[in-house]
Amino acid sequence: MDSRDELIKEVIARVIAGLVQENKIAKDQIGPMSEQIYLSLHSSDQNSTGEKDSRASHRQSESRVDYSASVQAAHGMDPKEVVIGVGAAFQTGIKKTITGLDLGEVIKTIRAGIEEEGMSARVVKILDTSDVCFMGLEAAKLSGSGIGIGIQSKGTAVIHQKDLYPLSNLELFSQAPLITMEIYRHIGKNAAKYVKGERVTPVTVVNDPMVRPSYQVKAALMHIRETEALDEHIRCIEWN
Amino acid sequence: MKRSKRFEKLENRPVNQDGFIAEWPEKGFIAMHSPYDPVPSLKIVNNEIIEMDGTPREQFDFIDRFIADYVIRLDRAEVSMSIPSVEIAHKIVDINISRAEILEICSGITPAKMAEIINQLNVVELMMAMQKMRARKVPGNQAHITNMKDDPVQIAADAAEGALRGFSEEETTMGVARYAPFSAMALLIGSQAGRRGILTQCSSEEATELELGIRGLTTYAETLSVYGTEKVFIDGDDTPYSKAFLNAAYASRGLKVRFTSGSGSEVLMGNAEKKSMLYLECRCLFVTKGAGAQGTQNGSVSCIGITSSVPAGLREVIGENVVATLLGLECCSSNDQSFSHSDMRRTARTMLQFFPGTDFIFSGYAAEDNYDNLFAGSNFDANDFDDYNVIQRDMQVDGGLRPVSEEETIAVRQKAAKAVQAVFRQLGLSEVTDEQVEAVVYAHGSKETLNRDVPADLSAVEDMMKRGITGIDVVRALAETGFEDIAESILNMLKQRIIGDYLQTAAILDEDFHVLSGVNTPNDYRGPGTGYRVSGKRWEEIKSIPHLIDPEKF
Repeated sequence: MDSRDELIKEVIARVIAGLVQENKIAKDQIGPMSEQIYLSLHSSDQNSTGEKDSRASHRQSESRVDYSASVQAAHGMDPKEVVIGVGAAFQTGIKKTITGLDLGEVIKTIRAGIEEEGMSARVVKILDTSDVCFMGLEAAKLSGSGIGIGIQSKGTAVIHQKDLYPLSNLELFSQAPLITMEIYRHIGKNAAKYVKGERVTPVTVVNDPMVRPSYQVKAALMHIRETEALDEHIRCIEWN
Repeated sequence: MKRSKRFEKLENRPVNQDGFIAEWPEKGFIAMHSPYDPVPSLKIVNNEIIEMDGTPREQFDFIDRFIADYVIRLDRAEVSMSIPSVEIAHKIVDINISRAEILEICSGITPAKMAEIINQLNVVELMMAMQKMRARKVPGNQAHITNMKDDPVQIAADAAEGALRGFSEEETTMGVARYAPFSAMALLIGSQAGRRGILTQCSSEEATELELGIRGLTTYAETLSVYGTEKVFIDGDDTPYSKAFLNAAYASRGLKVRFTSGSGSEVLMGNAEKKSMLYLECRCLFVTKGAGAQGTQNGSVSCIGITSSVPAGLREVIGENVVATLLGLECCSSNDQSFSHSDMRRTARTMLQFFPGTDFIFSGYAAEDNYDNLFAGSNFDANDFDDYNVIQRDMQVDGGLRPVSEEETIAVRQKAAKAVQAVFRQLGLSEVTDEQVEAVVYAHGSKETLNRDVPADLSAVEDMMKRGITGIDVVRALAETGFEDIAESILNMLKQRIIGDYLQTAAILDEDFHVLSGVNTPNDYRGPGTGYRVSGKRWEEIKSIPHLIDPEKF
């Protein structure tokens, strides 16, 4: 889309958002772009009245990044690649995992694991879903090898393969607070080994029954932020 | 500020490690009633609902539409909706009004009306409601049987012990998802080695779970998830219609099914649409009813950390359990997930289901140490067995478990582990050594067992699935290796699939494979002196805990 189209689209969206504000059309009938503009208009109205609402809207605009100029993620041709699909808020709205691991370091570590096994890594950002299994599957489908890794900004990860059911997986790491850098490296290594068709011993399962009481509220807040950062029209872009 | 020693001490109490958050309705962090919840309403024209809970038909999302078209009884709706919610709430706790009459009223109400009714009831009234509205006369209990190594031998041994301890259903899941067929098979064998008639299931990806069921490696299914907002449904690649089809697929093969839902999931998935957890869960349960499921596993379930973080969260949990019963559904009432560091708080949470009794008080009591519980920890675990038995005895309440002796427990663990070893050999699967059997029989958990050769197991799993191994092959392998009694039990479980009686609401089986359900043994509670009372043989069993002081030897 060239910049003129973009401009026209934005003007239309602003007009529609204006109409909604004047109650001329219903809010649920408008597209996401207009809704975004409507919400930003709406929150400035309400700043003095609803503190909680403005908090929500403020966060929404803060975590929303414009990806329209980014490069759409390509279907890889390299049979040696593992595609890592990161969450919508990854390194933008959210910089650290739920336990405070730097997301840049996390990617570097997974990459190192993949490269250690002689395979190559490519990172994409998934913007049409925040569900880790669907993210992993999307990454796998973009991957030249058919093996992908999905990782949410809070740290939850999955190793996926392109021909599996979405909610199935090769390996799932569902308890983000327990995932260490060592495990992230191991995830990279194992993904690469699946590419090579080796007999893979899955990463040893870790479990802590007190993770939920300690972290579930934080997990929800992080996931809300990730979901707010989605941009379903752009779907998936190349990422660093 | 100079610190108070008392406040310092209190800060370090376990409860203060739990997560709490103030109400925030815009993001769904609100338990019972959100200012954005709809006001109950219903308009019917030409036998079609044209408005429900303030939304006109043309603005229905697919959940509204499904509920309007398949759940609410139009012949009842006008009368039911005209009764004030507080009056319906009165009838629910009135011992002079029968369960059947309440079910009739509730068959004609909308989800918002249901939420409004529940909002009238405090926790004691909700327990009274549960005591009367539970489907089956005798309460039951379900176990989680899992371990960190996905070790099938340990699954079998723990399943046998769990069955001996009284669980009517046992559920497993995996750390490594691809182990599912082994886990299902080991659970099937182990459960029957402990006590005949135990229902088993393997929680896994839906298509895999269905296939294991069709093959006769499981005898019920539970992981059919429904959600309270359209967006969360779509994120899971699902609709109420697809869930109804999946339910029918199970039913066509004679497998018992219950759905799963629970408050907090929409918040956790980031799409609660500003509605209260209770209202969204009402929508889930109406969908469950409309899809033809006999029952539900609900009570926040795996999102209990969210629901319990807000004010009145645990009142909401018993509230949503009661909603299930008001719709005539079997209620398998959660208590299956750790949510608190505080022993007081986790016990208090469970008493709301334990005292009135539900069809299954836990939808997964960890029958292993919680470190081995792959549902990320249950609210009670194997370390709590004796506490639980004592509480049953203290209160004269039937929580579904019983005291057992060490000797009989070791014996059933041994039998189960050896049976799995024999079946693996007979079917040419991966090796189970005598040392492994020995370690598992006497172990408390997987930290004391031997490691499996995981790649070998996984390729054997693949081979087993390719060869089309079914429940009948397991029966044959057991019969050929000297385990005729377990073989006969599993064959009897498979026969249930053809008889079909255990598809009725809230069905469990006794040791002679007789169905006990809400249909042939319905809850007939009508106040003091009626309904299920702990007495006779069962009371003697509950009374006989170990470690009693013997006055003769004192």
